[in-house]
Amino acid sequence: MAAAAVVRGIGSNLSKNLREVRLHLCQISAASQGPRDFIEQHYVTLKTANPEFPILIRECSGVQPVLWARYGFGKEHSVSLDNMNADQVAKALESVVNAKP
Amino acid sequence: MLVHLATNMLRLPAVSRALAGAAHSKGSIATTNNVQTSARASSNMVEVFVDGKPVMVEPGTTVLQTCEKVGVQIPRFCYHDRLSVAGNCRMCLVEIEKAPKPVAACAMPVMKGWNILTNSEKTRKAREGVMEFLLSNHPLDCPICDQGGECDLQDQSMMFGADRSRFTEGKRAVEDKNIGPLIKTIMTRCIHCTRCVRFASEVAGVEDLGTTGRGNSMQIGTYVEKMFMSELSGNVIDLCPVGALTSKPYAFTARPWETRKTESIDVLDAVGSNIVVSTRGGEVMRILPRLNEDVNEEWISDKTRFSYDGLKRQRLIQPMVKDASGQLVATTWEDLCHLKTTDFRAIAGGMVDAEALVALKDLLNRLDSDTLCTEEIFPMAGAGTDLRSNYLLNSRITGIEECDLMLLVGTNPRYEAPLFNARVRKSWLHNELQVAMVGHKVDLSYSYNHLGETTQVLQEIAAGTHPFCKVLAQAKKPVVVVGSSALQREDGAAIFKAVSTIAQNSRASSGVEEGWKVLNVLHRVASQVAALDLGYKPGVDAIRKNPPKVLFLLGADADCITRADLPKDSFIVYQGHHGDVGAVMADVILPGAAYTEKNGTYVNTEGRAQKTRVAVTAPGMAREDWKILRAISELAGVTLPYDTVDEVRRRLEEVSPNLVRYDDVEESNYFKQAHELSKAVNQSLLAAPLVPPQLTVKDFYMTDPISRASQTMAKCVKAATEGAAAVDEPSIC
Repeated sequence: MAAAAVVRGIGSNLSKNLREVRLHLCQISAASQGPRDFIEQHYVTLKTANPEFPILIRECSGVQPVLWARYGFGKEHSVSLDNMNADQVAKALESVVNAKP
Repeated sequence: MLVHLATNMLRLPAVSRALAGAAHSKGSIATTNNVQTSARASSNMVEVFVDGKPVMVEPGTTVLQTCEKVGVQIPRFCYHDRLSVAGNCRMCLVEIEKAPKPVAACAMPVMKGWNILTNSEKTRKAREGVMEFLLSNHPLDCPICDQGGECDLQDQSMMFGADRSRFTEGKRAVEDKNIGPLIKTIMTRCIHCTRCVRFASEVAGVEDLGTTGRGNSMQIGTYVEKMFMSELSGNVIDLCPVGALTSKPYAFTARPWETRKTESIDVLDAVGSNIVVSTRGGEVMRILPRLNEDVNEEWISDKTRFSYDGLKRQRLIQPMVKDASGQLVATTWEDLCHLKTTDFRAIAGGMVDAEALVALKDLLNRLDSDTLCTEEIFPMAGAGTDLRSNYLLNSRITGIEECDLMLLVGTNPRYEAPLFNARVRKSWLHNELQVAMVGHKVDLSYSYNHLGETTQVLQEIAAGTHPFCKVLAQAKKPVVVVGSSALQREDGAAIFKAVSTIAQNSRASSGVEEGWKVLNVLHRVASQVAALDLGYKPGVDAIRKNPPKVLFLLGADADCITRADLPKDSFIVYQGHHGDVGAVMADVILPGAAYTEKNGTYVNTEGRAQKTRVAVTAPGMAREDWKILRAISELAGVTLPYDTVDEVRRRLEEVSPNLVRYDDVEESNYFKQAHELSKAVNQSLLAAPLVPPQLTVKDFYMTDPISRASQTMAKCVKAATEGAAAVDEPSIC
């Protein structure tokens, strides 16, 4: 699957530019199905490769799924994951990992 | 009118579950008639009439509950919906049409077709008669009685009593009993409703109170000179309908109509009990419980109730700076402008609100620092604090009432979270909950299966070789609770891994549905969950490994980092409300606000965000914590983008949206993923036994800066160690 390949591609590089990644999603809505699948299938791999890096998963009912990325000096960037599937979520994660703050 | 009784909730479990989705969780009064929909369809409903109005109720409902459903409050003294029925006050007598005698509404289950007359001639005569008897031996103490203004006897005699007295005999008097430094007893006023006896026996689990003698010479007390030694003892003060049991610290200080009541949340433990702060003239007079069916029902612990006098002592009221000679000297907020520092790390303590935590995090992040620690450790190996389900009490406090087997690991819930323990006891008493414990043998208010206190036992249960595993496998709704004190150890990660394995195994073998959560963590400090939600690093290891030049202590008083751990010329800034451990070692002190003086968000151990409200203004020059941090950010050149509480809360939502979902618990999942990551943890359990820090009641009273500053709590510790007679009380009536 594309998402697995992307996650493998990220490898242990989460902390290259990022300081913290936050994933907001709803526990049941259809719009958050992609992020939910992503966590279920790829979170363990991602965390095993980056054991010290904070990947905060914050579930809350009724929220729009968002990926928040925090870089150095408190700069934050958010990507909406509304109605994305797991592959697109992985791509969004890859883009924030590689983005220079 | 009947102030104490206004919070009656119907005890029928079906009713409370049906209302669970609605405003019930906010603790509203349930007078809605939710049985009308399938009146004829459900064949087991009984039709009864209340003053001619028909109502359908389940069989087994008492007359009193039926009337309540319709909205008619029947006066009572001894009946309380959370205690067993006694039926000894006789105030609830109502006439049933065509019945020869009035019936005690609190005890009589309804029969089909009854017409309950709540305001007929006979009912009114019965009430007047009962009131006359109750008042015949009751002393004329209203002017000097603390219960005046909120006394059930006063209210009900006005509403239902006769207007003139025919009493010409003498009244009996009873000696006062000394049951501790918290409860003042004037037993002459006692009307023998036995609510205190039933509370002590059923809810508190301490069978100290009882009745001695009969008739006119009946007395309620401990019979021998004994203290009422329970962490929930203060609740009898709320239960007693008259002024027989009142609060000793609150005696003669205020009348209820003079006080302003502010709804707030308690932060002295992680349960987040809902309280009402009564204030008068800018001073906290007392703290009362607020009804919340999901958290604390109607009870609060003694520490919550009585440590408010600690809010007036040892307070930091002015900013202070250490001068050249090493003495802390008072200064002003303006003079602190010269303090500019850009490289610092921070430690957050146990009573910090989420607004201050997020302000501190934003400040440090903007200065390119990520080292924000909490004093309480939580194992970061594996999923750590990524998944909320890893560090919350996932089953929720109400979930305890549904479970059938509970395993406690390394915790003494009786003193770490008394209201959680009260709920466990309620479930043990009414729902046949079985409890087993791995840890030091402590006196919980219920009997439990003590499996041992070594980590060896834990290992065996996780591996499946311990005999208890068979019991665990047969449980239909198991719950495993690990105390945060067990996770503070060096092998905390290994303990958590073992507990996670036990939880996963018992979940698999029980075959319970997806929604049921087995793994739970019981925290001890109010700010821990909010800090972990926001992304703080638990434990001060990061600071110990890399000691900074400047350390910012936000309410950190647990003595985790001392001057010895830091380089010689390090600079410590302390922001908090009490002059406790942290302030003593600081170079700069910034006075903050305590929980009664700020609008703060606190998340309890279940993950429920709740707000405190401003009841009194902070003393002297103290300010709300997040505002101080906002000011510091301007001095440091990285101004934070919020100026009002609402803007801070919007920022809280950006970081973790559940922080602004007040009074609700958000479900957290991914246990499987967390377990998979914890399996990879490579740490072995130490041989040291699992001993929680609070073992007996004397460890309960002084655990945080506010309770350590409280004289009442000090008296309690003295009474617990030396006996009630040792406490020096001024002799007043």
